[in-house]
Amino acid sequence: MKYIIIGGSAAAIQAVEAVRSVDQRSSIELFADEETPLFSRVLLPYYVAEELPKKLLNFRPLTFFEDHEVISHLGVRITAIDPDTRTVTADNGQKHEYDRLLIATGGRPIVPPIPGVDKKGIFPLKTMQDAENIFNAQGKRAVVIGAGSIGVESCISLKRKGMEVNLVEQLGRVLPTVFDDQASSIIRKRIEGLGIKVRTGEKAVRFHGNGSVTSLSTSERDIDCDLVVMSIGVTPNIELAESAGLDIGELGGIAVNDRMRTSAAGIFAAGDVAETQDIALDKKSINAIWPCAVEQGKVAGLNMAGKKVLYPGSLRMNSIGNFIGQPAISIGMVNAPVEEGGVEAGEHYQEVVRSSQDTYRKLVLKGNRIVGATLVGDTQKAGIFTVLIKKQVNVDEFVPLLMSHKLNFMEILPLIRRYSDKFKEIEYKELMDTGL
Amino acid sequence: MEVIMVDQRKCTGCHQCELWCANEISSESKEMPASFSDEPQPVPRVFVEGKQFALHCRHCPDAPCVEACPNGTMSRDENGLVFVNDTTCIACWMCVMACPFGVINPYSTMKLAIKCDRCRNMGYPICVEVCPTNALQLAERDVKAFPASKA
Ligand SMILES: Cc1cc2nc3c(=O)[nH]c(=O)nc-3n(C[C@H](O)[C@H](O)[C@H](O)COP(=O)(O)OP(=O)(O)OC[C@H]3O[C@@H](n4cnc5c(N)ncnc54)[C@H](O)[C@@H]3O)c2cc1C
Ligand code: SF4
Ligand code: SF4
Repeated sequence: MKYIIIGGSAAAIQAVEAVRSVDQRSSIELFADEETPLFSRVLLPYYVAEELPKKLLNFRPLTFFEDHEVISHLGVRITAIDPDTRTVTADNGQKHEYDRLLIATGGRPIVPPIPGVDKKGIFPLKTMQDAENIFNAQGKRAVVIGAGSIGVESCISLKRKGMEVNLVEQLGRVLPTVFDDQASSIIRKRIEGLGIKVRTGEKAVRFHGNGSVTSLSTSERDIDCDLVVMSIGVTPNIELAESAGLDIGELGGIAVNDRMRTSAAGIFAAGDVAETQDIALDKKSINAIWPCAVEQGKVAGLNMAGKKVLYPGSLRMNSIGNFIGQPAISIGMVNAPVEEGGVEAGEHYQEVVRSSQDTYRKLVLKGNRIVGATLVGDTQKAGIFTVLIKKQVNVDEFVPLLMSHKLNFMEILPLIRRYSDKFKEIEYKELMDTGL
Repeated sequence: MEVIMVDQRKCTGCHQCELWCANEISSESKEMPASFSDEPQPVPRVFVEGKQFALHCRHCPDAPCVEACPNGTMSRDENGLVFVNDTTCIACWMCVMACPFGVINPYSTMKLAIKCDRCRNMGYPICVEVCPTNALQLAERDVKAFPASKA
């Protein structure tokens, strides 16, 4: 068996570990077009903020490839896949054969067609090189465009680095796809409290400057700046898959089945490039987050090595971490849909909210199942919501407990027991067999 | 691997395990009552919950916290124990969001995810040692008794 893996990040590395857990002998070749191996993109904002040195950005030791007997081709780009001859072509012209291929090419930042967007001093934040560019940028005034997770983390990092920062977002709130209005306004206050100017409902319309960017015109005002971070979103790197004739999903990611197989024999896809079934939304989604890339890489790797492992589906989850001095977590659906009177296939959507001065908790229920959870302030038990969403259990009379301060795992054990067919893992069984 | 098993019938909810866990593992002074006034406050890694049940990290064979951690800080040692490598934790709370049992404490003051590592560096878990009713026992994980598990 010959394995080839395209990509060197979360999904790819996890797939290597999964393959090796089953098959220690076959050859694995890995291609990644970035020179720096084994670093975690999630940490780039911390690097920009000068909180983490480069050597702490790795998520695996530098001996990883050696330890796992992987032939790594770093800085080498794959330019074509031929599913008929089962070969890939690298940018140095070499062809390599595979029996099993994983496409874990991730995504790339979207560059909007704003006049002047090609001026110097305007960067996305995705690669190590981008982080270096931002880290080394001269000047004191920064603008971050797009208040998604990466935008918010970037603006706080730049502030911590000592810059003056404006955050520009064309929609009406920060983290518009991650938090609802209430949670978002708590977070916004925190961001503003750090001294960042937050401009929502404002569109970036033109960059000015002779060569290098010196100012930005938005739909409302002009903002002088020496540095711009563009973070309006990412789009999956599907070009290889597309030209090889693989099926592409309706949202523009590579279509995969529940074993992470693409439409072509022997070819799998995982991570930010893949379009998967979302458990909470009950439809296709590209959940471009680290935990999903890891899970999918693992499932792909095990199946590539001949195991039969099914992916139960993806689930979006975001945490704002320690960035704003108050934890905030959002899982699954952000807001209950209001279309069709909030009814879908006979099931009612409902939101249950509890808020106090500095905490906020909201559940989105579909029928009797949780499909979304938002927690601000008090977040230690957030994972209980994650597992209840993942396992799709009816929470019935447990809603008041789930909303209360008293929530803890042992209090919901009766519920877990009721659905013991869905909680077959040993870690749950051990607790159920304790005489309770 | 050995895990801590809890006999619910014996747990009286006396919180000795919590108290000693905080004192032995996370306090500076390691002596009560001096440790009560340590800064930052010592925190336990075991929680007496519900109708009296001491809950720890279950060291899941397929641990969601390990999969969620973006930099390998949450990892598994050669004995199967899941632990936090304190020096690299960035306090992103991704693990907190993933742990189904809610036993990871997002400790903001120290910017550190805190959880039970079954006292992997001490030889013997302190909670098991101090539990006055033997409700806590160290036992070999009985993989055969629960064949449904993917372990
Ligand atoms: C700044 C930033 C902060 C983030 N913060 C968080 C966070 O807090 N929480 C969270 O869950 N997620 C976060 N994410 C998202 C997370 O990083 C991604 O979900 C994750 O990295 C996806 O992993 P992946 O393996 O699918 O792809 P990627 O990480 O995108 O990696 C793709 C790999 O493919 C390689 N590649 C692409 N095309 C080719 C080709 N043709 N030939 C060879 N190699 C190729 C690239 O070199 C790269 O190694 C963040 C992302 C960024 C950029
Ligand atoms: S911290 Fe939670 S998810 Fe991680 S191993 Fe322990 S119980 Fe499992
Ligand atoms: S809080 Fe620490 S241990 Fe938890 S996921 Fe983040 S880095 Fe890993």
